[in-house]
Amino acid sequence: MDGLKAAVVLFIACLLQLSVLTEYHPFRTASIVLVALLSIALLRGSLFGAVAGFAVGLMLDTGTLGTLGVTSLLLTIAGFWIGRYGETTARDRFHAPFLSVAVVTMLYVFGQLTLEFVLGEAAPAGAAVRGVPGALLLNLLLTLPVYALARRLFPPQELGDRVREVRLLG
Amino acid sequence: MPRNRTVRFAVLGSSVQRAAPYGFPSSRSSAIRRRIVVGLLVLLSLVLITLSFRSSALDGIQGDGATALRPFETAANRVARPFRDTIGWFHGLVNARSENKKLRVQIAGLQQELIQDEGAVQQNAQLTQELNYQAPPSVRAYGQVRAEVLANPLSSTEDSITISAGSVNGLQTGDVVVEPTGNPDGTGALIGTVDRVTSHVSRVMLLTDDDSAVTATDLTDSNVIGSVRPGGSSLILDRVPKEPNVRRGDTIITAGSLGDGPLKSRYPRGIPIGTVTSVTNSDADLFQNIQLQSLVDLSSIRSVIVLTPPSNR
Repeated sequence: MDGLKAAVVLFIACLLQLSVLTEYHPFRTASIVLVALLSIALLRGSLFGAVAGFAVGLMLDTGTLGTLGVTSLLLTIAGFWIGRYGETTARDRFHAPFLSVAVVTMLYVFGQLTLEFVLGEAAPAGAAVRGVPGALLLNLLLTLPVYALARRLFPPQELGDRVREVRLLG
Repeated sequence: MPRNRTVRFAVLGSSVQRAAPYGFPSSRSSAIRRRIVVGLLVLLSLVLITLSFRSSALDGIQGDGATALRPFETAANRVARPFRDTIGWFHGLVNARSENKKLRVQIAGLQQELIQDEGAVQQNAQLTQELNYQAPPSVRAYGQVRAEVLANPLSSTEDSITISAGSVNGLQTGDVVVEPTGNPDGTGALIGTVDRVTSHVSRVMLLTDDDSAVTATDLTDSNVIGSVRPGGSSLILDRVPKEPNVRRGDTIITAGSLGDGPLKSRYPRGIPIGTVTSVTNSDADLFQNIQLQSLVDLSSIRSVIVLTPPSNR
């Protein structure tokens, strides 16, 4: 059920990204897909995040007729890493989604730039760096509503290793 | 005191059975499974990059995927249109007074120019006929395919858009893309060229892409021949010698070329590209340093016209 919900949420985020956000130049640096993916990964863990990242990356690459696999690779790693952070240190911390989005937004931009450079495509570092503050600000602004929605759709699960019995010695 | 090793259980729930773990798995087997899955996904991504970059084996699948996504993107565009129009309406309202004043001045100037140009057009037609002059193909010789923009560039480093027309509409790689206007022939300024074609969706490389280069000339002086290329946040007209002079405010158009050989220009002559914003000369440079402002806002395009050469049809 979680998989279906995640698929619907990420598909809508993908459409919003492709058809609505890119219409307005100031909002082009924002990535609602990245924010939605990280929110879901934080709430559902690394494996879920990695698979969701791969699928949504593939959809973005298909929609833009870009090089298949580039966005998938970046979003798979981002989903896995933030999912792992959610599984370990980020439990119930208010700042976790904001910190995750801020760090991954920056790493995503530089990761994309590096991949484009490695593939021999145009990689204008100046334009990418200039876009980072705007991307950070807009993604952080998007985090609050998107994470709230994700938390409602994917309520935090109890920990699997929670103690259900105690052993008394003595 | 002897240590009592007897073990007693105190049950906190109704059952002493430990429930199957759910939520975030933390066991060793889960960690291994997690790593295997992520490793496979990363490997699959790398395989996709290699296949997509080195061959066209995945083009068909990607084209079908893009075609499947097209109705959803179009629907999202339609849903967002009222909001977009509202924003545009308010934006227009703010600038209306100053724009009105500017346009009135512009109209007065253009009316004067139109009278002069009409005489020149008649003279040109007469001389062309008398001299049997073979001019480069004009826009009118090309077919027109109108298409909606499905996706603008996703980031500030990308310079391509996706449009809702493909090979079934007669598009081919290299076709010229212009903006639609209210001109008699319907075509406006240059946007770019078709870069990748699938059955129903195509990708357009914008003028600002690093791989883009267009042979261009000055509308007022056909001796000026150069190449329009991206230059930072604007365009530059490169390879123009220091004579003849290009002036600020001049309109730069596509040069086109004659001939049927492999080096024939893909661009018809006379498509406006941009206006000259600055011209600088330095003793160290062989060429003038000319900066242009595109006549189209390349960051936000909603629809396009693709010019299909007569041979495509």
